[in-house]
Amino acid sequence: MSGTVIFFLVLYYLVVLGIGYWAMQRGSSKDLEGFLLGGRQVGPITTALTLQSTAMSGYMFLGAGGLGFAQGYWALWYAAGDIGSGLLNLSVIGRRMRKLSQMMGALTAIEYLEKRYPSPAIRLVAGTLTVFLLGFYVLAQLIAGGKGMALVTGISYPIALAIAVGIILAYTFMGGYLAVAYTDFFQSLVMLVGVMWILIAALSELGGLTAANNAIAEIDPTLLSVWGRGLGFEGQWGVVAGAILIFSVGVMGWPHVVTRHMAMSRPATARKAGFWATIWSLFFVPTPYIVGILAILILPGLDDPEMAIFQVAEQLLPAAVTGLVMAAIMAAIMSTADSLLLQTGSIASRDIYERFINPKASERQMVMVSRGLVLAVAVIGYAVALVEPPTVFGIVIFATSVLGSAFLPAYVCAVWWKKANTPGALASMIVGASVAFIWEYAGLVNSTQIHPMVTGVVSSTVTMIVVSLATQKSSPVPPQVLEMMNVAAEVGPIPERYLATADAGLANEAAAIGRKLDEG
Amino acid sequence: MFGLPFATTMLVFGFPLFWILYLVGFLYVSRNWDKDTAKENDAS
Repeated sequence: MSGTVIFFLVLYYLVVLGIGYWAMQRGSSKDLEGFLLGGRQVGPITTALTLQSTAMSGYMFLGAGGLGFAQGYWALWYAAGDIGSGLLNLSVIGRRMRKLSQMMGALTAIEYLEKRYPSPAIRLVAGTLTVFLLGFYVLAQLIAGGKGMALVTGISYPIALAIAVGIILAYTFMGGYLAVAYTDFFQSLVMLVGVMWILIAALSELGGLTAANNAIAEIDPTLLSVWGRGLGFEGQWGVVAGAILIFSVGVMGWPHVVTRHMAMSRPATARKAGFWATIWSLFFVPTPYIVGILAILILPGLDDPEMAIFQVAEQLLPAAVTGLVMAAIMAAIMSTADSLLLQTGSIASRDIYERFINPKASERQMVMVSRGLVLAVAVIGYAVALVEPPTVFGIVIFATSVLGSAFLPAYVCAVWWKKANTPGALASMIVGASVAFIWEYAGLVNSTQIHPMVTGVVSSTVTMIVVSLATQKSSPVPPQVLEMMNVAAEVGPIPERYLATADAGLANEAAAIGRKLDEG
Repeated sequence: MFGLPFATTMLVFGFPLFWILYLVGFLYVSRNWDKDTAKENDAS
């Protein structure tokens, strides 16, 4: 690897760390709300870009490119829904969730669910599911980081993986939502510039898109179809529907993404953020898939399809640009991983350990539990990634299918359906997660030609409706929750009396962290 | 277009167009959302 590439890699990490440090100093740790939600002062552009970059992760540079390389234009079904994921999220639940979470005094996505559907069981089930699935999702980021680092530096995969895990852990302990949001903002811009640069270089190399498509047609015309290589997915509308749903409506069920709504500076931020999220997505989302398709011509002998984007960049770009692009890709992977690890650690310590195991846990004990879990996830992830690394695509599709299936009805109905009650939400989460998991694990996709996301979301939605309606008399939605839902639905400022109850509604563990931060 | 079959052209360009139209509709429907919190600041 050239010195220029190393220079840009190191420079990039320093800039990102500098932004993170600056954001932390700016006030993200003044109080608990500041630490967890950036003091609810995040504006529309930053909201849009942190939401998008958190949702995208290393998948876009490995999984998306690999899918384009392997299946041609069929891969664009995944981009079709993904382009609108941020807009859909912000337009459907953004404004209402921002208001409701503030009125309820909820500071995490899991705490919000427990306050909307009052029951410790909601927190236990949601927290456990989230820890497990985000831990799994982290694994994909570790593998992506290890593979990328190995290619960029030329060192062996095990050592590269260890370095990647070490850097990710260092990032993780920076902490603070505002730091994450502003580093995401910067990284999303560099990601966009980087991937567009690779696309332009690839198109220049191949003489334009039409010439490239004609050349691909000579190799295998089915790669230009909407049914994949060899028309392998022909007529499989159940799989196509899942591909569209998983990264569009499914994202409304990802706890680490919907947290972004709660941190917006005001409910109306969702409107402008929706605009910026769409602009960014229109350019960014389809590009890695298309670069992967073009790699069929540029890298005909490529062994690992998931390395398509890395290798196209290395082959076509000058060293300085390659360094910048590589750094952007690596930093995007790592910043997503640190968000996931941080969420996993905090949910495990606050929503599970202190809430159910040790209610009198000190701040020191909670930090120990959080960091212990982060380390455990990283070590387990390292071992799995080293011994038998699954594909990044496979892990991300599995984790996001189950996440979306489990939580989509719970988050959407929380603001839109007044009859959605605790038994309905609990049953919906359990059934949705179980069906998606079994569908994927048992390999039912091939025999039924239906994506697990489709069966998971349909079953969790039906369960939410049936169970909620059946238990209205025995478990009615509390009147104060209904009142807050009405206020969230109306366009207008939150009445003072609801803001006054927010502080009193803080969870014990949240208040404990607040006191600790005040002392600091 | 661009050497692609019709269905693929619709996939590549149709969905982005759908989301642009969705955005326009959303901006229209949400035009009064500023009334939510007139007193608070809106940072970048």
